[in-house]
Amino acid sequence: MKFLFLFLFLVALTGCEKINEIFLEEDLLQRPPAKRCADCHAEIYKAWKESRHAKAWISEHFKQESENYSKLKCLPCHAPHQVDPLEKPLLRVERRHEGVNCVACHFKEETKAMHGPYKVWSPPHPSKEDKNYTKSEICAGCHRKTYKEWKLARVQTTCQQCHMKVKDITWIMDKFPFLLFHTRKPLHDHTFPAGKATPKDLKTFLTEEGLKIVNVGIPHNLPTADQGNPKLYIIAEVYYQNGKKRVIRKILSPQSNTALRYLEPYNIKIPKYEEVEKVVLKIYRRLAWKKERELILVDELKPFKLAEK
Amino acid sequence: MKRVLLASLILSGFALSGEFTLKKPPESLKKYYPPQSEKFEFLNNMHTMSTAFYAVQLNINDGNWEKATQWAKKLVETYKKTAEMVPEWKKYFDFKKAEAYLKAVESKNVDSVIKASQELGKTCAKCHQDNEIAVKIYYRFPNFSEIKIEDPVEFMEYELEDFMVKLTRSLQALNVYLSQNQPDKVQEHGMNFVERARAVKEMCSKCHTDKRDVEAITGKDYDQALNTLEELLNAEKPDFNKIKQITAKVTLTCYTCHNVHYIPSKIKSAFSK
Ligand code: HEC
Ligand code: HEC
Ligand code: HEC
Ligand code: HEC
Ligand code: HEC
Ligand code: HEC
Ligand code: HEC
Ligand code: HEC
Repeated sequence: MKFLFLFLFLVALTGCEKINEIFLEEDLLQRPPAKRCADCHAEIYKAWKESRHAKAWISEHFKQESENYSKLKCLPCHAPHQVDPLEKPLLRVERRHEGVNCVACHFKEETKAMHGPYKVWSPPHPSKEDKNYTKSEICAGCHRKTYKEWKLARVQTTCQQCHMKVKDITWIMDKFPFLLFHTRKPLHDHTFPAGKATPKDLKTFLTEEGLKIVNVGIPHNLPTADQGNPKLYIIAEVYYQNGKKRVIRKILSPQSNTALRYLEPYNIKIPKYEEVEKVVLKIYRRLAWKKERELILVDELKPFKLAEK
Repeated sequence: MKRVLLASLILSGFALSGEFTLKKPPESLKKYYPPQSEKFEFLNNMHTMSTAFYAVQLNINDGNWEKATQWAKKLVETYKKTAEMVPEWKKYFDFKKAEAYLKAVESKNVDSVIKASQELGKTCAKCHQDNEIAVKIYYRFPNFSEIKIEDPVEFMEYELEDFMVKLTRSLQALNVYLSQNQPDKVQEHGMNFVERARAVKEMCSKCHTDKRDVEAITGKDYDQALNTLEELLNAEKPDFNKIKQITAKVTLTCYTCHNVHYIPSKIKSAFSK
């Protein structure tokens, strides 16, 4: 509390401009380790640390696929120097193990300031309001293919609205007592969760043409990827009236160009449709960095004519 | 005439002769390639020497002996440094010939420069003959034998080589049943082939970051051919002739891709054994 009074006293005495100089913490503009940001943005740091962005370099899988970091053209997006809208980043020199880190996403060499979504007063480091941060374009230099798919979907919802949801209206800098000088603002989820498709995101039909699956909920391919290889596993058990059963399996993946496009039906031909009694459909997904398959949906479909009876 | 001679000898020094062997390159080179170094120090010295060689020639032709001497010095200096980098290869370097080359340039005598260049150039050529291709593949070509593909038919992961065999087996089975006129079997193995041929594309992004590379071989035409094949196979009465035509089109892609990747991949995996 003593500090607070001292501070107010200083403000009164010297004005805001001077305060910015007095409280400027030089090292923040020298590309410090991510942990340093935790001094004032502890909540955000904790979230980011759990995110895949923080694992982008140390990911065992990435290490293996880049042949122990020897495929140089793989490295820039996994340890970027500076993130700009729509631009593929350059490779960072220092602390690559931090992957896609705070400084890369927020600090700009041109302004020597932290760019972010708000107009803030931040004496420890200069900040600049930059509305690009609320737009999908800031993700697009690395998530190039996903961004293109999203563009084609022509929706208003941004990447951030699904992958960086507002967690709370609170202090975005959480160091006491300094937080008292700031207003509460929407705090965005820095764990960058992949999320998971729900049965509502997928519409299924069984018609003479076949079993149709439509991605109606996710405004990019399902699954989507740039360099990763996530998958959708479709298992359709077809039961016939004569008691016979046939299992149809499909793997859909962005790399083989078979992923479910937004609003575009995907069709699986069902042999001997007239004799079908029912189809039990199961859909699993596997994220790019995970081994296990997770169930998204189980559905039982009857041919139209049977269902009508 | 002399000038022409000077130009041609540098080029001719680099050709491979009729028969050659590939030897696994020494481990000490590792230090100059990723991941240990991203600066390609060894390769850069090669570029420096090659440029210097040519710069000497250019400057002699211009009558600028002073510059020519500077470049010759740079060449010899780099030559000596390079010799230190890979101890296993010391015997390839001949410092006397390098010094003689520098002296020749300093003497401003075109005849002796030509002779000394030839002598020095031979030491470069000898090492290239023995090692250049092996090094390019061993240190600069990615490893296909590390690549795994998930088989869309069995839902299991296989090494590339084994997957390629499975892919080929589906193709062969398709052809066998086409010739035996067995539509059910054609449908089954044909669809396995289609799914596996699609899965082949999953590996490209493990090395390529520019989608134009992927599309150059397995692009829209390839996707379209596989979609058509799928439709033909699922038709009430499959048209065997059309199936054969489309299958032939798909297999052309196999050759194109093999032409680019197969040989270096096989050499690389031979080195790793
Ligand atoms: C992949 C890029 C990325 C990384 C990495 C990242 N951020 Fe952010 N950050 C954003 C974006 C985008 C927003 C704006 C979100 C919005 O407004 O929709 C944001 C917002 C913020 C804000 C404003 C408050 C809020 O939640 O909107 C702060 C403060 C912040 N980030 C700090 C950090 C810190 C500290 C780290 C590291 C621990 C970090 N960021 C890592 C992209 C990133
Ligand atoms: C243009 C930016 C970019 C480049 C270049 C890049 N990646 Fe990635 N990588 C991404 C993005 C974005 C993701 C996350 C989305 C996805 O799964 O594709 C990712 C995810 C991955 C994943 C899955 C996540 C994990 O840790 O398991 C692997 C593996 C991977 N990349 C390997 C590579 C390899 C190998 C290369 C070089 C051939 C490469 N990347 C080059 C942007 C890039
Ligand atoms: C000593 C405290 C302190 C440290 C350390 C600190 N910040 Fe901040 N930061 C602030 C304050 C204060 C604000 C303004 C908060 C407010 O007005 O709500 C802020 C705001 C931000 C914003 C929002 C900018 C905007 O315009 O939306 C970003 C982004 C940010 N910081 C990034 C970082 C990064 C990255 C680091 C680590 C390199 C870091 N900060 C370290 C105090 C700090
Ligand atoms: C500098 C390049 C870069 C930028 C910019 C970037 N990302 Fe990523 N992102 C990656 C990489 C690389 C991965 C894969 C990390 C891994 O798993 O190894 C990834 C993974 C992800 C994932 C997958 C998480 C999971 O659990 O599978 C999501 C979601 C994501 N990013 C969202 C975003 C959003 C939203 C933005 C924009 C605010 C963004 N990214 C900006 C490079 C980037
Ligand atoms: C309407 C919400 C929504 C929007 C908008 C959205 N996504 Fe997604 N995204 C999802 C959901 C849900 C998933 C999970 C799908 C699944 O079940 O695998 C996902 C998956 C992903 C993944 C795959 C993670 C992995 O490891 O396989 C990445 C990467 C990604 N999104 C990036 C983006 C980017 C970049 C944008 C903006 C261009 C974006 N998303 C826009 C909802 C959304
Ligand atoms: C001890 C062996 C050795 C000697 C001596 C040697 N080189 Fe090389 N050189 C190599 C190897 C190995 C490569 C392949 C390196 C690579 O591609 O990474 C190479 C490649 C080159 C290349 C092609 C570079 C490229 O980008 O593909 C040039 C040009 C070259 N050397 C010039 C020279 C000249 C000029 C000399 C003599 C003054 C010389 N080298 C002496 C081993 C040698
Ligand atoms: C193990 C790594 C690897 C895989 C997997 C791979 N490539 Fe390549 N490919 C290379 C290398 C190395 C080159 C030589 C040129 C280079 O370095 O980009 C190359 C060259 C090419 C070229 C010549 C154009 C160019 O860039 O020089 C094409 C086209 C190509 N690949 C397509 C493909 C396609 C399509 C696939 C998947 C079916 C594929 N590649 C899979 C490593 C790979
Ligand atoms: C990346 C482009 C690529 C495509 C497309 C491709 N292959 Fe291959 N194939 C390879 C490579 C690389 C190898 C060597 C693998 C190894 O042995 O390490 C190989 C090996 C093979 C082998 C030999 C396996 C062995 O025992 O060594 C056969 C047979 C084969 N491929 C068949 C096919 C057929 C049939 C197709 C088309 C339907 C096809 N390939 C498409 C790259 C490709």
